[in-house]
Order: sequence, then structure tokens, then C-alpha cells
Amino acid sequence: MRRRLGKGFWIASGWIGLVLAAAVLADLLPLPGYDETLVGPPQAGPSLAHPFGTDGLGRDVFSRVVYGARVSLGVGIGAVLLGLLIGAPLGLLAGYRGKATDAVIMAVNDIALAFPALVFALAVVAFAGANLRNVLIVLGVLGVPAWTRLVRGTTMAFAGREFVLAARALGVRDRRILWREIVPNVSVPAASYAFLGMAVVIVAEGSLAFLGLSVQAPTPTWGGLINEGRTIMENAPHLVLAPALVMFLTVLSFNVVGDRLRALTDVRQSGLEHVRRAAAQPLPTAPHTPGGQLLQVADLRTHFVTERGVVKAVDGVSFTLERGRTLAVVGESGSGKSMLIRSILDLLPGAGVVRGGKVYLDGDDLTGFSPKEMRQVLGTRLAAVFQDPMTALNPVRTIGTQVAEPLRVHLGLSGKRARAHAAVLLASVGIPEPERVLRRYPHQLSGGMRQRVTIAMALSCGPDVLFADEPTTALDVTVQDQVLRLIHRQRQERNMATVLVSHDLAVVAEWADEVIVMYAGKVVERGPAADLFERTRMPYTEALLQSVPRLTDPAHHRLRVITGRPPDLAALPSGCAFHPRCPYARERCVTEAPPLFQETREHLYACWYPRGTEAAVGDPVPVALGESGPADPVPVALGESGPAALGEPAAGPVPAGTDRNGSEPGGPEHNGAGSAGPDLKRPELAGPEGADNRGR
Amino acid sequence: MAGSGSAHLRPPGQAVLRAEDLVVEFPAGRGRSVRAVSGVSFDLLPGETLGIVGESGCGKSTTARALMQLPPPLSGSVRLDGVELTRLKGEALRRTRRRLQMIFQDPISSLNPRRRVRDIVAEGPRVWGVGGDRVDEILEAVGLDPDTAATRRPHEFSGGQCQRISIARALVLEPEVVICDEPVSALDVSVQAQILGLLEDLKERYRLTLVFIAHDLAVVKNVSDRILVMYLGKTCELAPGSELVERPAHPYTRALLASIPRSGLGLPPADQLISGEPPSPVTPPSGCRFRTRCPKAAPRCAQEEPEMRSLGGDRWVACHYPEVETA
Repeated sequence: MRRRLGKGFWIASGWIGLVLAAAVLADLLPLPGYDETLVGPPQAGPSLAHPFGTDGLGRDVFSRVVYGARVSLGVGIGAVLLGLLIGAPLGLLAGYRGKATDAVIMAVNDIALAFPALVFALAVVAFAGANLRNVLIVLGVLGVPAWTRLVRGTTMAFAGREFVLAARALGVRDRRILWREIVPNVSVPAASYAFLGMAVVIVAEGSLAFLGLSVQAPTPTWGGLINEGRTIMENAPHLVLAPALVMFLTVLSFNVVGDRLRALTDVRQSGLEHVRRAAAQPLPTAPHTPGGQLLQVADLRTHFVTERGVVKAVDGVSFTLERGRTLAVVGESGSGKSMLIRSILDLLPGAGVVRGGKVYLDGDDLTGFSPKEMRQVLGTRLAAVFQDPMTALNPVRTIGTQVAEPLRVHLGLSGKRARAHAAVLLASVGIPEPERVLRRYPHQLSGGMRQRVTIAMALSCGPDVLFADEPTTALDVTVQDQVLRLIHRQRQERNMATVLVSHDLAVVAEWADEVIVMYAGKVVERGPAADLFERTRMPYTEALLQSVPRLTDPAHHRLRVITGRPPDLAALPSGCAFHPRCPYARERCVTEAPPLFQETREHLYACWYPRGTEAAVGDPVPVALGESGPADPVPVALGESGPAALGEPAAGPVPAGTDRNGSEPGGPEHNGAGSAGPDLKRPELAGPEGADNRGR
Repeated sequence: MAGSGSAHLRPPGQAVLRAEDLVVEFPAGRGRSVRAVSGVSFDLLPGETLGIVGESGCGKSTTARALMQLPPPLSGSVRLDGVELTRLKGEALRRTRRRLQMIFQDPISSLNPRRRVRDIVAEGPRVWGVGGDRVDEILEAVGLDPDTAATRRPHEFSGGQCQRISIARALVLEPEVVICDEPVSALDVSVQAQILGLLEDLKERYRLTLVFIAHDLAVVKNVSDRILVMYLGKTCELAPGSELVERPAHPYTRALLASIPRSGLGLPPADQLISGEPPSPVTPPSGCRFRTRCPKAAPRCAQEEPEMRSLGGDRWVACHYPEVETA
């Protein structure tokens, strides 16, 4: 919390504290009396004896400024507290009760706000007499409408939250709900506003005093001091400057404190937000030669610098993708799947984020492109659709303008032709009456229609690869099916490649040709969809599949539970990041991170003891990073032990000669030679659901 | 879908919770109003889990809140152990609250960010003056460490853990019926499995009756004894989970099932069973509300609203032309 408030907050608080202490303790300080005339030469400049000099009557200005703080701060703090005392209960009541109570309070409030405040203050003070009490009351009452409004708004926001509903469901009485659930939440923005309000009141009091309508002489006030000094400003500028400077610093400090307090409103920061100031040191990138594929990602890494350390959001991901294929990226939240897409598209959030590795599109190295070149690529050769179509569409522009824009910018079509083409595009994504939809605004369309529009926009310039990041997560299941069908059909018709990011394994199994499973920023299993789902090797993939409820399960069927939770990205476990949650983990998993091993040429997994293989007792052979090399086909027979073997504890040691060590001489030696012997036995920890992870 | 009707309700004496002909309206601006829930009826036997499934805007969450009287329905009846809740006001209503509890969808928004977790769970006992000694027990039952809970605030916990806190808060008062409104939709699949398992454990341990609301039919099927399918504020079909999935009778149920990828149910593709998107609830279609998207819609569907009727056994459907011989 301290760090979040920043240095400015503490300096400003210190200044306020100093002024406040001086004002309170003024009588105890070794100061000349503020009204003691001729303690020094009149109109003398600052000196050791009189740090702010003396005024026309030889009075010590420093003393007068200190005593003046009593009035300024007294009015500032007092008036704000008065406004708060009256306004906050009204606001709480209006915001919490709503309906008629709210209507009445806010109607009165609006009328009060319509009064010209300062004129009102002048009139009242002039009429009732200019003294501390009247000034304080007038300025305090003037603040009431603003307080009511602020507290009401904040209260309303919280009164609608589910925790208030939950409290009502528990039978908590309204008064306790207000006091326990709402007031603590309203208090932080209120404190912030109080400081800003004090700054305003101090200025207002200063203005009144300048006009002679505040506390009367001989009691000094800051505004009064400035007014007094004004007449002899040319001879003795310090008479105006000293109180003005103190007032300026004080008002500034109140504003800074109020402003910084607002940062406390958000209690949800996790410490994993990236630090913007951090210097971006590019990650080292190994030289790499592109293959002939449409999209090739080689050893892609994205690291964030956060308060809690470096977060490896994407850590060495490689894959290739051909035209007409769909690659699905699956994983839980925090697995890095969305960040992978952003890294490929170079849509990372700026400073403090560093990227390494290579991305090739048709042999072009996109990581070497300038931002300008990259903008050309985005939309024309690479296109993206995101989860929330509303954020991708501009709410104040019509669908027509937005769909036609890329056509005009990238394809250079004229306005009229672009619009005609836009209508064709909308029709092609299954939007009825495209001409009418072109004239509409995003909020006038349903979620499914909006997502169709963003797909139409993504497809408008005929991209080679369409990235869809959870495109249907926000949609209903019947609409989800329609949208996924649409993406699939467009992929066929346009012969493009699709990268589909999803947490929904059923969706992935249905629509993907190839699948990447991510965990803690790394690829833990990857392969053709059918292979991966039928011959799952990585225990995490297996657990994910078994934890999803299926329609064919009987009621009250117990799902596989993955214990624990996804790892803290700033403090990853040693070895294999999944080992703390893995029922099959052994010593080696704790100490050594597994590289990617080959099941078949396409099917890779990162696990020392893969499921369903007898190879679990020996050591599988790791694959080179980027694996563009001429990987020998791995003896498939061994891996094909079939579903019957899944989840079944291995009977015992397997003849060492039959494991795959010998068959791939080219593999780098990730695994120590000595590890083949000791850990031959599989743990007696078959997954609860045993063998069947195939149904999807 | 359409329908209303209450033929599917069991004799009043048996049910612990019985909702009959619930109607909830919201103002929709310009003097119009939306009937978010329009004549929905269902009941729960002690220890039963009723799943309510439907797409957004079908009124399932509104139904949940109407059961809780937060706010009370416009008309209709909610009886908890024979006590009519809709007629209770103020203090009398408040006294029934501890017997009917709710778990919300958003684990973050349903916990006060400025209170300590143990205080959140202990709020009910504090208000009622009972069960204060159960707070630690219930925290442990949902898999949280009471000592950690005593010092930490919700934002220091993950989404799954926050949902556990919500569950603990709902159960600490030993309610008879717990309404779970999309309790796992905001969670990752691995955490979802944990929470579903936890709910089953707690249900056995505390002999709970559950209303489980979700949009994911597979999730609902997993925890429910019977499933009620809703569409645009009306009931479509009510049947035991396995029968609903194996022999869906309402065209909308069939479409919902077919929309689930790889459901393995042998249904025709979803786009042959359903088209377009749900109509606006402000101006719902006449007759059967599903007819605008239904492949089997006939003139009768526009004129006459179907009521829930028996298909034999415990299967009920609100459709003029249900699919009865589906394998």
C-alpha cells in the first residue's frame, strides 16, 4: 500500500502535517505575536530574525502566516467535515434506498447546486457578519450538494454489488448493511474527495478574505495577508509572496493527497501488473531458419517485469501452421494462451514487456518488422477476433463505417464501393439484412451479431491467418455453435489458417486440427487433435480432460479434481511447473524441467513419465527446440500401447533396450544418462477415472 | 417454449420449496416493461437438486432472486416448508432468510473487498446470534484455513477460493435450501470440478436441497436430479437429467443439446434444429415463445401457448408437438 501511494503523497502529507502542527502549536512556538507592532523594521525583507520579513507596521510576517494557517486550515477542514456530516448520510440514504427517497433528495440537491455558490457565500457573510463561524458554516453548507452526489453515486455502485445482496439474503438489517458493507467501501473515495474539497475551501476562504469578507483584522488570514500586502507590493513583494507561496503549497498538497488516495480505491492489484518504467532489455534470440510453412513461431518468449519479479507469460513456445488448418491453444486462465496470441501479433502492452524468439509469416520475420510495417500486416495478412466484440467496436460509429474502414485503408476502395463490399461481407457471415445493419450502431445488435460483425471486419482484407481468442466465450451455447461453424466455413472457403484460443476442450475437440496445451507459459503437450485426445501423454492434459463434465456421464458423477491451483507466475515451482499438482510426480519432476518429447513426429509432450506409455519407466527422448530438423519417426509401436494402458500402473521394469533412447541419435541430451535406472516404478496413483479420456 | 402451467408440481405437502406461477417484471423504459419470468413453476423435494438451464435472458437468474424475494416476484407463490414467502414483509421475511441461502456467479463481486474473510463468513451467525462456533468448521469444510481467513481479505484469494468463501457464508446458517446461481461459470475447468465436488460433499454432509442454475447443460446434468429447461421467461421441459439428455422432447432442449460440441448424442446438427437468436423479451412472440426459431413451428404454436404436460414418468414438456420417440 505504501509503495502504491508514491513519494509525492508522503511529501504532501508531510507539508500538511507541518502546517497543521504549526497552526495548532502557534502559541507555544517562540514567535513574536502576530499583532505585535514594530518587532522589527517595517517592510524589511526576509532575515534570520524574521524569515518572511516584516510588514508595514513592523509585524513579523512568519508569525502572521502561521496564525493565518489557523483560519485557513480551520475553515478548510471544518467546512469539509460539516459538508460531509450533512451530505454523506443524505447520499447514503439516496443511493441505498433509491426510488422515491432518491428522487426527492436528488431533486433538492439539483436545485441547491443551481445556486451561484460564491455569490451566495458573499451575500450571507456580508449579511450575517464576517467571522470564522459564519464563513465556516457557509462554505460547509455550500459543499453539501457535491458530497451528497458523490456519496450517492458510490453507494449506488456498491449497493448493486452481489455482496450487498448476499448480506440481505443473510437477513442482515439495512442499518448494519450500510455501516458494514457500504460505508467502508465509500470511505476511500470520500477521503480522497475530502482532501480535494479542503483545497477548494482553502482557496474559497482565501478569496473571501481577500475581499475582506472573512475573519476580520487583527486576526490574520492568508487571503487577508495577500490583500494587505497588495498595496505595497512594489516595495515589499515578500508581503504577498510569502503567504501566497504557503497557500499555494498547502492547496497543492491537499490536491496531491486527495489524488493519490484514489489509487487505494482499487484493492485488487496482485503485484503482477507489469511495471511500465522498467527498461526493456530484449531477450536473446537464437538464430533460426524459417521453414516453408505459412506461420512459424519459434521459441517465442514474452516476459513481464512486475513488482514481484519477472513473469514468464510465454516461455519458449514453438509451432508451425499450414493453410486450411486450425490450431487450438488451450489452457486455464494464466496459462499464457492469450498472451501467446498477443505476442505473435505484437500487441503487447508496451514498456516493461519484452519479447524474444521469432515469428515467420510466409518466411517473413515479423519480429524484425517496424511498428509501421506491422500495422500493414495486421488486418491484411493477420487478423484477430477477441472475446468481447463490444470492445472491438467503436460504440459511437455505425457498423457500416467500421466495416468499410479497413477496406478503404488497406484495399484503397472508394467510400461507395467499400460500403457495397461491406454489405457483401456482412452477408457472407450470415447477417440478415446487411444493408440495414450497416446503418446501425453496435449496441443495437445482439452479442452474436456483434461477433459476426467483428469476424466480417477481420476477414475483410482476406487474411492468411485468423486469430480467434475465446471468440464464443461470451456467447450463448446455441449462438456459439453458429459462430464456430461460421469461422470454420470461412477458413475452408478462404483457405486460410485459424488459431483458436479456448478454455473449452469440447469446442477444441470439435473444431481443431492441431492442439497446443499450455501450462504456466509453456507448451506441455501438442499434437494432432485426435492423437492428443486419444493418446494423452501429459498428466495435465489428462486431468483437464477428466475434469470436464460430460453429458454422457451419469448424474452426480464425480469429476477428476486437479488439486491445488495454477502456479504463481512470479514464483514458479522448480522442475516441471505442474509437479505440485501432479499425482504421478516423482523426484525428477521436482528438480528437472522436462523438455518436449516426441510421441510421434507431430505429437509432443513435456513429461518425464508420460501417461499411457510403458516408456514412463525409461527415459523418452527429447526433441530439439523448434524441431524443424529432420526428426526421425519415433518407433510408434511403443507409444501405441493404446487406451487400455492409460491410468494403469505399469507392471514393472521394462527391458531397457526397448525404450526410445537408442532410436533417435540426433536428440540433444537433456536428460542425464544416470536417470534411467533408479526411478523405474510408476507410482500407484492412477487417476480416479482410470482409462477413459477419449469420449470427446 | 413456451409454457406455463403447473401440472408438473407434486403434492404441496412433499415439497420443501415450491414456486408456482412466478412472474417478474422489470421496467424497460418508455413506460414498457419486460416480463423476465412469466408463469414459472417448480418444486423441490428434500435433498433434491433441481437444475435450471437456459441461455442468457431466459430468466433463470431472475427466478433465483424471486425465490429469495430479492426482489419479490410481481405475482405467484413461493412456499418454503409451507410458508408463503411472497406475503411476508419486513421483519417476518427477514426471519425466514437463514433457511434459504444463495451462492452467486461472480466470486469477486459477491464478497466485500474491505472485510476479512472470516468476518464475511461470520456475518450470518453474528446477525442471528447462532452458529458462531460453526464458522471455523465450515471454513475447513470448504477447504479454507480458518487462521488465514481471519487475517486476509478476498482479493488475496483466487477465484475458486472466493467461491468457497461464498459457499461457506451460505452454509454457515444451516439453510434448508441453497440456490446456486451460476456458481462455476466464472471458474476454470479444473477449479470448476473442485467446486462441483465440494457442493456434492457438502450436500451430503449437511443434507441440503439445491437449486443449481447454469447455462452449461453438462455441468447442470452432473449435479442435478431433475433439470428444468427455460426459454425467454417460460418453462420448456422438466425431466430427470439422464432422460432429458437421452430423450429430449422439446425442440429447444434438442437444439441446446445439439449445440454442445461432441456431445455424442446422435442429434442432428444444431443448425438444423435452431436458427437465429432469441427474440427481444420486451416483445415476445405470441403463443409459444420458441416458435420463431423452432423448425417444427405450426400455426397452432402462434395462437395457443402450450402448457406443461406429462409424457409419462417424471417427464414434462410444454410443446404442442414434442419429440417423443427419440432414441
